[in-house]
Amino acid sequence: MAGDTLIAILILLPMATAAAGLAVKDQLRRPLIIIPSAVLIAASLMLLFQVLEHGPLTFTPAPAWGSVILVLELALLAYFVYLGVVRRHVLVLGLGGLQFALFCLFKFAWLPSGFKAQPALHVDLLAVVLGLVISVVGALIVIYGLNYMDNHERHLKLSATRQHIFFFFLVGFLGAMNGVVFANSLLWLFFFWEITTLCCYHLIRHDLTAEAEQSALRALWMNLFGGVALLTGMTLTYQVSGTLSLLDLTGFGPVGPVLLLPLALFCVAGFTKAAQVPFQSWLLGAMVAPTPVSALLHSATMVKAGVYLVLRLAPAYEGTYLSALLAVFGAFVFMVASLLAISQRISKRVLAYSTIASLGLVVCLAGINTGLAIAAAVALIIFHAVTKGLLFLVVGIMEQGIHSRDIEDMEGLITRLPVISGLAILGMIVMLFVPFGVLFTKWASIQAAATPFSDLYPLAVVFLALGSAAGMVFWVRWIGRLISNVSAADAPPAEPRPEPWRSVSYLVVFSLLAGAVALSALAAPLVSSLINPTVAAMGYSPALDTAGWHLATPYGFFSPWVLFIIIALALLLPVLLVRIRPEEVQPVYLCGENQPATGPTFRSIADQATPAQTGGIYWTRTFGEQSLNTWVNGAGIVLLAALIVGVIV
Amino acid sequence: MSGFDWSVGLAALVLAPFVGGLLRGIDRKLTARMQGRIGPPIWQQFYDFFKLIGKARAATTKGSLVWIWGYLLLTMLTVFMLFAQQDLLIIFFILAFAGACLAFGAFSVRSPYSQIGAHREIMQMLSYEPILLLAVVAIFLQTGTFKVSGIFEYGQPLLFTLPLAFVAVLIALTIKLRKSPFDISASEHAHQELVRGVYTEYSGRFLALIELTHWYELVLILAFVALFWAQPLWVGVLLALAVYFLELIVDNVEARLQWNWMLSISWAAGVGLILLNIIMIEMFFGNVLRL
Repeated sequence: MAGDTLIAILILLPMATAAAGLAVKDQLRRPLIIIPSAVLIAASLMLLFQVLEHGPLTFTPAPAWGSVILVLELALLAYFVYLGVVRRHVLVLGLGGLQFALFCLFKFAWLPSGFKAQPALHVDLLAVVLGLVISVVGALIVIYGLNYMDNHERHLKLSATRQHIFFFFLVGFLGAMNGVVFANSLLWLFFFWEITTLCCYHLIRHDLTAEAEQSALRALWMNLFGGVALLTGMTLTYQVSGTLSLLDLTGFGPVGPVLLLPLALFCVAGFTKAAQVPFQSWLLGAMVAPTPVSALLHSATMVKAGVYLVLRLAPAYEGTYLSALLAVFGAFVFMVASLLAISQRISKRVLAYSTIASLGLVVCLAGINTGLAIAAAVALIIFHAVTKGLLFLVVGIMEQGIHSRDIEDMEGLITRLPVISGLAILGMIVMLFVPFGVLFTKWASIQAAATPFSDLYPLAVVFLALGSAAGMVFWVRWIGRLISNVSAADAPPAEPRPEPWRSVSYLVVFSLLAGAVALSALAAPLVSSLINPTVAAMGYSPALDTAGWHLATPYGFFSPWVLFIIIALALLLPVLLVRIRPEEVQPVYLCGENQPATGPTFRSIADQATPAQTGGIYWTRTFGEQSLNTWVNGAGIVLLAALIVGVIV
Repeated sequence: MSGFDWSVGLAALVLAPFVGGLLRGIDRKLTARMQGRIGPPIWQQFYDFFKLIGKARAATTKGSLVWIWGYLLLTMLTVFMLFAQQDLLIIFFILAFAGACLAFGAFSVRSPYSQIGAHREIMQMLSYEPILLLAVVAIFLQTGTFKVSGIFEYGQPLLFTLPLAFVAVLIALTIKLRKSPFDISASEHAHQELVRGVYTEYSGRFLALIELTHWYELVLILAFVALFWAQPLWVGVLLALAVYFLELIVDNVEARLQWNWMLSISWAAGVGLILLNIIMIEMFFGNVLRL
């Protein structure tokens, strides 16, 4: 199939599916969503092989499409202003109005009529890798959403289903995201960028509670701020260099590197999408939405658009002040988000902070801007998408099982919901430990940060070391709460029905876990066949050697599959071989005052039986949002100001 | 990995328990002398070990036993990799996994003492992990590689240019060995507020496994210390023994600290010292990677 057709399918099919979903009956929703999802996955894979074989594709649709997009764009920008008016939200109104005015001025007054940034779409390996993440992980999450939303609406006891609206935005999101990563013209990029803002807004407010409305509006104004930054950057770029093509900006086109200010503004726009400090609050608020939305926002879409833009522009700011400061900023976000996560007991907030941390790491790697760093960034985007998608879906299933998001309510969940808890624990181990993919990228990151890429490198490497230790704390504690052995007698009453582990939702989780494990064990072939070529196509020299399916950098050596086998044996053999007989089981130690007949209870005041209780420790006074947020946001704003002011001076 | 590396690594796996157990025996003897007691024989650790192995089995949950095997096997893997001169970053990542297994073991039992111990254990990890990672980075700035083999190829002792990082490693070491003042996750004696923290619910052969793991851990850590004077290596070994003796003294004169003290000391002093050392390298000693 021709590359142009594949690109068109990847952008338009989700949008067409979304639109069709509004029209068809509820009974037809499953086939309507599952079939295009499969097509999407297949198309993204075919596009990958095409680009690997024939090099990057460029494509400019017929001029009529330009007019269609312009009309839609104006409607969209006007809609944001309208939202500001009807929701009586000053920030949305102000930023939306500013964006609308700026866009009209730019498009109709400053740009010569008939100006086109050629080509409109350019699909290189980086775009394909992102497209693959969006299409495969995104489609799986959408399929998971089918079951989830049925349960969700049953639980809410809605009189009329609102699923058609939900899936309209959820599926349409994938098309918009593919548009963002395939766009070469900044005008096109801006259009798709704004659509993702729109989808995000509507998905967060889907449940229409007061909290949902509020979170959605916060997400909206922060992303509109990003939109304004993007638009200002575009205007400046055009004034300075007369081009609006990403290829030109990144040094592959006729116009050389431009001023740093627009690039810094593009990065700020990326930070709003990627929820970097001080814009993190919208992503934390987004957890009010149904779980498929969180999963999609955190893994395959939205936040990935932000880091994609920063990473895409990396060659343009290589070796500059901006690059050095991005590395420090990203490492800083990585550290503080990991520290804040320690104090969180709501599972989705832990995941959200961990997402912010991972995205900070990608920004940091883009700022380090060496072949090794860029390779680690691309690998992290892939591994993070699969693993974080998996963990959100797991939390969604748990939530529908125990009706709580609180980690404290998950004490001993392994005995109540063994399958999903097992999947959760494996997912977290994949997120946290050697030899899995996320750790491989951390290994590469520390190496990249330790090479003196700028005079600020000691700061970046210290932030990374502190953040990576903080990551251990919250993941290990969470796993610890899940495996805490609660006997059936004193567990809170669980759902009477058994776990539906043959359902589609579980199937999706299983496949994501299998994907994460397989990609981790086969990290070397993944690097040699996909990541190294991607890095090379961006103009860097690949720094990872994959001889013998080991991973070697100029400074270190790591063999994923060997370690995978050894560690799997070290953990699985004891599971199979250790046996305890019932008569060997003893009650826990309670200072010799046990009352074994009544479970874990001990004799306390007046010889009364008191149940022994355990709970997680969250160190809120030290790591809580209340004690840290002021400092964190303040430092974030200072760093951003340093970024902008520094590039002007 | 050459055949030589394999054989050194395997030899270390076989010999480490003897060295580690003996060192622990000396530890107990010296500690007793410092406290005005005669103390057990030097081989007492081995007697204890075999006595524990022979005891009847008792356990609270299967999970805690499984994780403790993971703790032992992964620690053995790190010892093998260090002596086979592999990548230090990966070694410490695996060590973190091993430490997490110990915490998981304690988390799997719904016992107040082991749960508190487990939480404190992860606080200890939060304290020493950054120091170990940054120490490895500081070594990298001198040798240009993260592999242990690079340290042996490097001409002069690392201690000359990394004195502050070395001091920071000593802090991390005290935490990792769970010695006073940082024995916050598990106390040496069972009649304190913690009982025995993470070890509370282990007995018999599983306690023996933990003891064995500690011997491996001790050898690993002292071997890492010895790397600061790798040429000639016997000086490094003496250095490591001197450090161990210093740990004993500190252990005996200090009381247990609270976790937030530990965290501030390790992050402010430990990480601060390494940062200072990196700046020293940049300003005076020269960073090999800039050449």
